[in-house]
Amino acid sequence: MPDTPPTTQPGPAIETSGLTKVFGGTHAVRDLDLRVEAGEIFGFLGPNGAGKTTTIRLLLDLQHPTAGTARLLGLDAHGDCLVIHRHVGYLPGELSLIGRMRVRDQLDWVARARNLPDTRHARDLAERFDLDLNRRIEELSKGNRQKVGILLAFMHEPELLILDEPTSGLDPLMKDRFEQLLRETAASGRTVFLSSHELDEVQRVADRVGLIKEGRLVRADVVENLRAKAPRTVEISFQDPVDPSVFAIDGVHKVTATGALVTLEVSGPIGPLLQVAAQLHPIDLVTHEASLDQLFLEFYRDSGSDDHAS
Amino acid sequence: MRLEVFRLDLGMRRRLLAVYTLGMALYALIIVALYPTFEHSTGLDNLTKNSPTMAALFGASGSITSPAGWLEVNLYANFFPLLVLLATIGYGASSLAGQDEDGTLAMVTTLPIRRRRITVEKSLAMAAQAVVIVSVSTAFIAIGYTFDITVGVADMLGASVGVLLLGIDLGLVALVVGAATGRRGIALGAASALGAISYLVSSLAPVVHWMRPMRFASLFYWSVGNNQLTMGISPSEVAVLVGVALVLVALSVLAFERLDLH
Repeated sequence: MPDTPPTTQPGPAIETSGLTKVFGGTHAVRDLDLRVEAGEIFGFLGPNGAGKTTTIRLLLDLQHPTAGTARLLGLDAHGDCLVIHRHVGYLPGELSLIGRMRVRDQLDWVARARNLPDTRHARDLAERFDLDLNRRIEELSKGNRQKVGILLAFMHEPELLILDEPTSGLDPLMKDRFEQLLRETAASGRTVFLSSHELDEVQRVADRVGLIKEGRLVRADVVENLRAKAPRTVEISFQDPVDPSVFAIDGVHKVTATGALVTLEVSGPIGPLLQVAAQLHPIDLVTHEASLDQLFLEFYRDSGSDDHAS
Repeated sequence: MRLEVFRLDLGMRRRLLAVYTLGMALYALIIVALYPTFEHSTGLDNLTKNSPTMAALFGASGSITSPAGWLEVNLYANFFPLLVLLATIGYGASSLAGQDEDGTLAMVTTLPIRRRRITVEKSLAMAAQAVVIVSVSTAFIAIGYTFDITVGVADMLGASVGVLLLGIDLGLVALVVGAATGRRGIALGAASALGAISYLVSSLAPVVHWMRPMRFASLFYWSVGNNQLTMGISPSEVAVLVGVALVLVALSVLAFERLDLH
């Protein structure tokens, strides 16, 4: 395999097929079919123990799959791992750095190992994240250590970033700067695979989201589509109290009436509901879009173990 | 070849290595400086002369008040290899398994460095540490020539080479076990147990009849347990120890290729 820049190869940044990892009879990842397009920010969501970190370790050849295949940047995750590692930036969920080193020395060492001519980009990022390069890593707070991890992942301006809980320990200001960095990264055509259980953060930056449960991909779609299919809350104020039973129509799941105020949980087109409500002299109507949080819980509630990835 | 992993690991351990080496060297200096005090102690000599078993347990193969016997009993048969083994087994167990357990190995293995190269560079880092400890200690032992310790220079250097290769071999055992299991504790335990059994077999084989054939399976026998301090280390002994090291490096490479990291 020639060591050519993988970005020149067309196709998805990440593609897995039937990826499976079994530890002692337990499926950490099960038949995972995942496709992340080049240039997108893909949010990989799931609770603790869902299989997010194991998936990442399989992608990076830190662990070997029990079955299935993974390709990154068009290359085989195992056979071409040397080339892949050259073009991928990785921030682990449990970041461990060599405590006795100064930040500058750690960056210099990684730069040499990556055969980078200099650490200019890392120094720019350090300035952006207010990180003192002369401090020893063991002296840094958790948030500042996380900044070092971000620098190490981004310093070689990789084509693909695989980030596991990247904002862990960062304060709100730094989270904001990090999200800006992600947007700039995607704008430059590079790909971000972002594993998180911070739903709000993923909602703000991700183009698409994959939900993983018990090692299976439950759903993968753009955030807007996931929301469109999720139930949203509709509040309608009427002139006089109304009989809630008149709202027993398709798409309406739950109706609560408090005097003249009716609260409904609605999924799908809202037209049939509006037709019924219009005949009852409505005064006001407010809709609340489902947050990713609600959506996430909804998918988790509904998806049984036989669900398949979409 | 930039040897970045080799340099990183040695750099991280340079202070420990310096202090450790100095400690070992000072111990060696004290032993050789004490020799004139015990040189004519017949009582001490009788301790082992009348009891081959006692002599075997001390690692003595002749008079313990002779220059070679003094060095053998106090350094080459026990403390010198023991302290080198502590360093090499400790590093062998921590360099892959230990660093995987503390999470720092993931940072290295996701860089564009092949796993086999990481293993080889860590093996070289271990060998380099052993070379520093053994060569500085040997230099301090050589000061013993001013304290009436008159063993053959080539013999002493040969015995030191034996200690060096023994340390590397058992350190590599820890590396192999760590690469196969990912567990530092198992690697430490397995290599230490093998070292202890190897020592027992080598030292007791001269007096325990049924153990005699087993001495060929003992790394101590091939390095320091076959009169190397008086007869030098033979090319065949070096070949065995180097061959074992090469096999262990190959096994480490294979095991680490298959290891699931954290």
